[in-house]
Amino acid sequence: MSVRFTDVVKRYGTTPAVAGVSFTVESGTLVTLLGPSGCGKTTTLRMIAGLELPSEGLVEIAGRDVTHLPATQRDVSMVFQSYALFPHMSVLENVAYGLRRSGLGREEAVKRATDGLVQVGLAGYGGRQPSELSGGQQQRVAVARALVLKPSVLLFDEPLSNLDARLRRQMREEIRELQQRLGLTVVYVTHDQQEAMAVSDRIIVMNAGRIEQEGTPRDLYERPATPFLARFMGESNPARGQARRLDGGRMLVRLGNVEIEVEDARAAEGEVTVAVRPEAITVERAPGPAGTLAGTIAKASYLGTHMEYSIDTAAGTLFATCPQVGRPLEAGTAVALALAPRGVIVVGGS
Amino acid sequence: MNRAALAWSAAGLLAAILLPWYALQDGLGSGAWLAGLWSDEAAANALAQVVEHGKWWLAPVLAALAGCLVVALLPMQGRRRGAWLLAMSATGVLLFGVQAFAVGLRGWNADWLTAAFGELDGRQFGIGAGGTVVLIAFLSLLSIGLASRGAFGGDSFVAGAMTAVTASILLFTAWPVLHILAQAFQDQDGAARPLLAFARLAEAKIWGLACLTGGGNCGVAWNTLFLALACGAGSTALGLAFALIVTRTAVRFRRTLRVLTVLPIITPPFVIGLALILVFGRSGLVNQLLDWSFGVQPTRWIYGLPGLLLAQLFAFTPVAFLVLIGVVEGVSPTLEEASQTLRADRWATFSTVSLPLMLPGLANAFLVGFIESIADFGNPIVLGGDYGVLSTEIYFAVVGAQLDYGRAAALALLLLGFALAAFFLQRRIVGGRSYATISGKGDAGLPTPLPRGVRRAAQWIALPWAAFTALLYAFVFAGGFVKVWGRDYTPTLAHYAKAFSIERSPSGLIWSGAAWNSFWTTVELAAVAAPLTAALGLVAAWLMVRQRFAGRGLLEFAAMLSFAVPGTVIGVAYVFAFNVPPLEITGSALIIVLCFVFRNMPVGLRAGMAAMSQIDRSLDEASATLRGRALQTLYFVVAPLLRPAIVGALIYGFVRAVTTVSAVVFLVTAEYDLATTYIVLRVINGDYGLAIAYSCALIVLMLVAILLIQALVGDRRLGRRAPQPQGSVA
Repeated sequence: MSVRFTDVVKRYGTTPAVAGVSFTVESGTLVTLLGPSGCGKTTTLRMIAGLELPSEGLVEIAGRDVTHLPATQRDVSMVFQSYALFPHMSVLENVAYGLRRSGLGREEAVKRATDGLVQVGLAGYGGRQPSELSGGQQQRVAVARALVLKPSVLLFDEPLSNLDARLRRQMREEIRELQQRLGLTVVYVTHDQQEAMAVSDRIIVMNAGRIEQEGTPRDLYERPATPFLARFMGESNPARGQARRLDGGRMLVRLGNVEIEVEDARAAEGEVTVAVRPEAITVERAPGPAGTLAGTIAKASYLGTHMEYSIDTAAGTLFATCPQVGRPLEAGTAVALALAPRGVIVVGGS
Repeated sequence: MNRAALAWSAAGLLAAILLPWYALQDGLGSGAWLAGLWSDEAAANALAQVVEHGKWWLAPVLAALAGCLVVALLPMQGRRRGAWLLAMSATGVLLFGVQAFAVGLRGWNADWLTAAFGELDGRQFGIGAGGTVVLIAFLSLLSIGLASRGAFGGDSFVAGAMTAVTASILLFTAWPVLHILAQAFQDQDGAARPLLAFARLAEAKIWGLACLTGGGNCGVAWNTLFLALACGAGSTALGLAFALIVTRTAVRFRRTLRVLTVLPIITPPFVIGLALILVFGRSGLVNQLLDWSFGVQPTRWIYGLPGLLLAQLFAFTPVAFLVLIGVVEGVSPTLEEASQTLRADRWATFSTVSLPLMLPGLANAFLVGFIESIADFGNPIVLGGDYGVLSTEIYFAVVGAQLDYGRAAALALLLLGFALAAFFLQRRIVGGRSYATISGKGDAGLPTPLPRGVRRAAQWIALPWAAFTALLYAFVFAGGFVKVWGRDYTPTLAHYAKAFSIERSPSGLIWSGAAWNSFWTTVELAAVAAPLTAALGLVAAWLMVRQRFAGRGLLEFAAMLSFAVPGTVIGVAYVFAFNVPPLEITGSALIIVLCFVFRNMPVGLRAGMAAMSQIDRSLDEASATLRGRALQTLYFVVAPLLRPAIVGALIYGFVRAVTTVSAVVFLVTAEYDLATTYIVLRVINGDYGLAIAYSCALIVLMLVAILLIQALVGDRRLGRRAPQPQGSVA
């Protein structure tokens, strides 16, 4: 294991920014801290870096207690949201900076820095000034600068938030590819759920200074433990329903006039909150077969790849996406909704 | 018909008939001129001057104005009318300028004109009320013409503001400075002698190096340069120490430090010199103590380079501090954090990241200290002794026994050369290399603590210095309440009574104190100048940031010129440029106000441009698409957002007007004496008690004024949330 947090608390004055978190990051994996702004994820990352020291708790890196060690003496390096390239140094000097500070000779530092630039696909850019590079290139320089130190943990603080959408996808693929090729241990902070799912081995979702849930991207999407998570991990319709336990880890969930059997061993019985994924709703013109939910289309929008519908039903207004764009349904159409069990999640009892 | 054009042409023509064309000896106030509006040559209107008094050269000017009226009245299409108006009014301005400069007090102003057109039977005085209104009318018509031709987005307010700013900067900054440059190349009679300037500047008194060989004083040019270099280096080092302590350490009295270092800004510049005399002078505390305890003879070491340098360091360190506090705060904490995560310890981070990032700012602070030092007049005149510098040398050339204007102009040229060289050097070094950018979002880093050695050094330098500054102020304050400093320390209120006594008499209050006259003049003129300074500076800033036009860079340079030009040079330039027609205003209150406005306007301009570039242009554009015309946008959208800049410009305009010495020392008269020049004279005469009492009163006055301005203009109110506690960004 590379990073271990044990009951770590960080307070500013009396308000806790991080209110007691424990987790571990295994070597060679990419773990994402995900959460809305103000949830404590960046503070957590900065405590790994040593830029902030915890008020309570234990921080270990590579098996060593580093709780009170400043950033300079930790075996980590970080890619900042603003890249933080030194504007008064050339690209090569930027990348060689950490090597020089680690006590390497000039020649060796330049050699490794040049290698580092090759790694990120910027061979030949060493003589330029950071301001002469595009946003994506600056990002790569920042990655190279952190990479050449061969740290036990590499930290990324919202690295893609200053890039445009197209470049963001490309850079996140590059980061993931680099991480897997070199077997790096990476802790990655973002508030973007899609980005987190695309790059991570594991995701730690934080909210209000605490860890809300932790797991693989699939775990979190398919089995969110709380209504907050169901909302935060992708879109979902909150609905009220009744749940009854069946045999074999299954539950019967009643929504309006339909009953759906879902696989779930943990959920409570009785009045429950149910999250319905919009893509799990199949919209048909009424009357549909038995076991479908009756409703009326309130709003319809065409989005090219799919249709979006708002549908009034007995279980509340549901939001559904539908890949059939060829025969769109107009507002006011009576419809029947079929719910796929996979997208019906019991997120909390009453 | 174009109503605005009609109104302006009519106003111009009415002024040409109803007001005296030339300036009157005793102003318009008495109304006595009404009787002689036609018959008296001095008081006659423009028409009478042409018809009755033989001033034929005014006729074309009036004809151009009448032409504008006709163009305004005729039915014409907008753009065509614009073209005609433009042509007519431009001709009018040109004719106006040509006649004003060609014909002076003794006929033709230049020999070649006499040679070309023969002796002129006639003369003219400075431009008066009639002439001024006609000129304004021409400029307004010019703007209307430009706007209806589609220039400046077709907005006649923008065109008008543009014309007004350009014309006033040309007239009151560019022209006097060019004039004094020319003066250096002329002999006493005004004939051009290009080589004379070099002869004047080649004197041993200016460039001598006798002090190096131990045989007397060096030339004033070397003195000035050496003092300025030492002052620039010293104030930068001190300012950096203060800036590091205030922004990067947790010293308990940081707030006090801030106040203490800002205090000298509202202090007239020579007060520090005065305080140094009280402490180190011949009858100062230190010498008396040495004399009393060891029998050491009092010396005069404080008069000369050591005292002068000390006084300038005290006076200008706060300026360097203010510059550097922005520089230190501008170093992005994220960059320092990045350096830390790259295994650089505190010292490596400071020396390889923070310090190089501050370098342009340090160069800036150095050059500000340099320019302030060479421009300083108050301290050298009070403390200089035998150590002459250019600014005092110019003063003595103008008011002393020499009365050599050509020499004064040549010395001013040299001083201007130093200042401009420093100014350009600064722009070259700093321009385009400022790293002090606060990048948009996401940077919530914490500044790295200073390395221990740096912190200790800064504290050891700054804290004693701050304590000493406090001590000096305490002495200044105390000095006003003792009988004779150095001899008789009996507490007394006599100095205040002498300066500010008020007597009650049957006919009302009598302001019998010696200082009241200059005090009220100062308050009045500063109160008039401050709003004008702020308004002109901010409107100019708005034009330069928001409007695109050819020659923008040139106009900015001309506006900033009076900032780089030392006050002494500006003062001399104003005297030379404005003591003869067409603008004959030397000796009036107007020239002092104009000097205040154009000397201090560049700071309002800078502050305005900085503030304006932070306000998104889309706000202006939103206002424009919502049918707001330029004036309305400026008034309803830009001005409310600029409140901090407005407050700053007002305060600066007022404070500088009250505290300045160098520029106005040539402009004051017995009638319009100012507080600072009055005090300097008292100091030169050794009347320290009164001078100190008066200085303290001035400091109080400025504090009151600052509070008043802040209360009146108020703060910018944006519906923002309260600032978050630091570091709570996730």
